[in-house]
Amino acid sequence: MGQIMGGYHARSVDLNSDDNPTFDPQAGFQYERKQREMIAKEEDLISARIPNKYRDYCAHYLLDYQVCRYKEMPLLYRCAHEKHNYLNCEQQDYVLRMKEFERERRLRVRENRISATA
Amino acid sequence: MSSKCIVYGYMFLNVKMSSLLKRALFNNSQSIRKTAALFCNATRNHWNYQYQPGPYPKTPEERAAAAKKYGMTVEEYTPYPEDMGYGDYPKLPDIGEDSKDPHYPYDNPELKRNFNEPLHATAEIFGGDRCDISIRRRFSLLHQWTWFLGTLGGFALLMVFLEDYKIGRPVTAKQIPGQGVHYLFSPN
Repeated sequence: MGQIMGGYHARSVDLNSDDNPTFDPQAGFQYERKQREMIAKEEDLISARIPNKYRDYCAHYLLDYQVCRYKEMPLLYRCAHEKHNYLNCEQQDYVLRMKEFERERRLRVRENRISATA
Repeated sequence: MSSKCIVYGYMFLNVKMSSLLKRALFNNSQSIRKTAALFCNATRNHWNYQYQPGPYPKTPEERAAAAKKYGMTVEEYTPYPEDMGYGDYPKLPDIGEDSKDPHYPYDNPELKRNFNEPLHATAEIFGGDRCDISIRRRFSLLHQWTWFLGTLGGFALLMVFLEDYKIGRPVTAKQIPGQGVHYLFSPN
């Protein structure tokens, strides 16, 4: 229900799901934001035949998990640690996207407020 | 030697077969149609010259004679329009067999038909196990159309008017490593 209630505040500034951020990434930060880095190497991903949609910033955890599965098959319960790492990374990635969304929304609200008073 | 035998045998079979087949198929002018009909309809596969209705009645005497032929009175006899090609066959009311009274003592109760009663021109689909367009509908046609169009139209209107009020997940686009630069929310 929170999504329905909160949707208005995003729709009123014309922001929808899966939009791209439009503001400067560094705007409003006192420190310098660290860049995300891709740890898994391209040739490893190609060699392991990871599908394209899983080649994101968490792919190195995915590779470790797949290696563990291959080694421990059929006793897959032994890979719980690697699986937990991968799923945590994916969750943090999703949370980062949510933060970006909220930042974008607040910057747009601020811009509207500034242009309304100006 | 053996290959020659095969060739001669093949030619003999061809010649013999073709003459036999020709005689079977083309001797009788109706046989191709009958053969096709056999595969299409195994039971209704005969025609009697008396089945054919007479020509369209133009004078009142012809109408009286046609009415008498079909066992109807002159008042209740009406043929189909001439250009439909039914000749003088009468246009009977479109009552399906299912709608006829089940308790009346018909001469032929399986068909709910009396002796010498004229059959409807399209009686094959008005049979008791087939269509019946005179049946009293449980829901009138207006009721059916209203609900059908109302449901579909209602959903269409919902989609049209709620187009700008959609809900989504509060996330930006998925950050793919090769496309664009992405940042964390911390300095380290």
